[in-house]
Amino acid sequence: MAGKGGATPATYSPSPTTDKQKPALFKEDWVRPDGRGFHQCRPAFFRTGAVNAASGSAYAEFGNTKVIVSVFGPRESKKAMMYSDIGRLNCNVSFTTFATPVRGQGSDHNEYSAMLHKALEGGIILESFPKTTVDVFALVLESSGSDLPVVISCASLALADAGIMMYDLVASVSVSSFSKNLVIDPVLEEENCQDGSLMITCMPSRYEITQLTVTGEWSSPKINEGMQLCLDACAKLAKIMRSCLKEAASDSKE
Amino acid sequence: MGLPNAFEDLSSELEVDAFRRLFPLRYFERHLAESIRTDGRPLGKARETSIFLGAVASANGSALVKIGSTTMLTAIKMEVMTPSLESPDEGCLAIDFFMPPICSPIVRPGRPAEASPVVSKQLSDTISSSKMIDLKELSLVSGKAAWMAYLDIYCLDADGALFDAALLSAVAALSHLQIPAVAMNDDGKIVLVSDEDGRKQAQEPVNKEKRKLTLRSIPFSLTCILHKNYILADPTAEEESIVETHVTIVLDTSGQLISLYKPGGPVLAYTSAIQDCVALTRQRVKELKSFLDKENPDMEV
Repeated sequence: MAGKGGATPATYSPSPTTDKQKPALFKEDWVRPDGRGFHQCRPAFFRTGAVNAASGSAYAEFGNTKVIVSVFGPRESKKAMMYSDIGRLNCNVSFTTFATPVRGQGSDHNEYSAMLHKALEGGIILESFPKTTVDVFALVLESSGSDLPVVISCASLALADAGIMMYDLVASVSVSSFSKNLVIDPVLEEENCQDGSLMITCMPSRYEITQLTVTGEWSSPKINEGMQLCLDACAKLAKIMRSCLKEAASDSKE
Repeated sequence: MGLPNAFEDLSSELEVDAFRRLFPLRYFERHLAESIRTDGRPLGKARETSIFLGAVASANGSALVKIGSTTMLTAIKMEVMTPSLESPDEGCLAIDFFMPPICSPIVRPGRPAEASPVVSKQLSDTISSSKMIDLKELSLVSGKAAWMAYLDIYCLDADGALFDAALLSAVAALSHLQIPAVAMNDDGKIVLVSDEDGRKQAQEPVNKEKRKLTLRSIPFSLTCILHKNYILADPTAEEESIVETHVTIVLDTSGQLISLYKPGGPVLAYTSAIQDCVALTRQRVKELKSFLDKENPDMEV
């Protein structure tokens, strides 16, 4: 890890002395690193209005995964943009340098911006802000597994906080597969040695899916099981998000 | 609450809001004439400030600071480097200030904010000239290994006085920093020593136990804006956009002047104005020091 190649003598972070074998995660009786059950999500915490400078914003914390999403607009589209009857959605996901265990590795995930865009697009009523752009910017403060699902759920909450019209809140959950087992809401250690991963982004009250990604090796019965797990978790997650919005609304009335 | 009444309230509110957006300067000056700021503060008073240490679990030192709505998150990660030939027994401190697109409507992805390199440079200059930390304390093995402390500051919400908040979060994170216990192995690489297996190792420990840096003096700052004869401490983003003359003063805990920064602006700063700014800063330094002491009871300066 430290002495990678002979490039300029950059710095390295000191690793622990004991060269333990990677803990065999998928033995018969393994326990998850944080002691959760296989089908148990981390406690989710949401709070809207994290950034005053934005039209709407939200902060989400799932275990050690912490993200902030700001929404700006609807505002003028870039000058070079063509005329458009419907609104535009612009998404960007970035990481802090200290988000990952090794400094500055978070920038590897350039695909997240496009995936966030695709996940949200179907949930937003773009016709409600013609000719303008809504910007959704996410910053992953600390990355500790299931980053993209957390960013997506948090972004839909921020959009709601900004008063952007949506068909429904968009909630997202992923599962990792390990030979026979399915593990929901995986942490970083689990994601690093999974056989496959499945992520669902859906609008629970409409029972519609906006994004589904499957990577790795899956059998059809297992995909079914994984999807059902995710859909149930999304429905529960959306309830938590809804109650967070209600709380914020009743606070502002007082 | 009757309906017509509610409607009336809304209309009068809209008018004030429209006036504020259309004639920001007049709106601002009307408040000043009454010796009050648009957010209800007296002229010389800074916004409510809070410090929270240890916000980033994976970092060696971290702090979250809020001044009004301006929010800064700082984390320090310690890495090992080979010291330069000129200073074989000194470590290094690299300070970076980031304004991600989430913090303000004027920052767009791919187009970094103008302010961020300026604040970055100002911060490194201030911290190095304040002689707050002794780089020799970051040495591990003379000529072979030393600590490189990466101090990264993220602005999460930009609402004025960015430098003040960034500096406060940087010093707070430095006061929270724990240097990990490490040893040098046979290949000359530095490795972490964890508590339970530290004894068994035949390696020679170079930093026996977790320790904190000695902070010799701590710099604190206050930004004021000058408008006509008024001096306003700790401006919000709205105030900064109306008034162009800023003065930033950095003092250390013993009251010594570390830096004074007045980047142009239409108002000339007379000696008396500068003196008033220094006096305001002196008060603010006391306040900030007590906040930091409260978070860090065992810190001695």
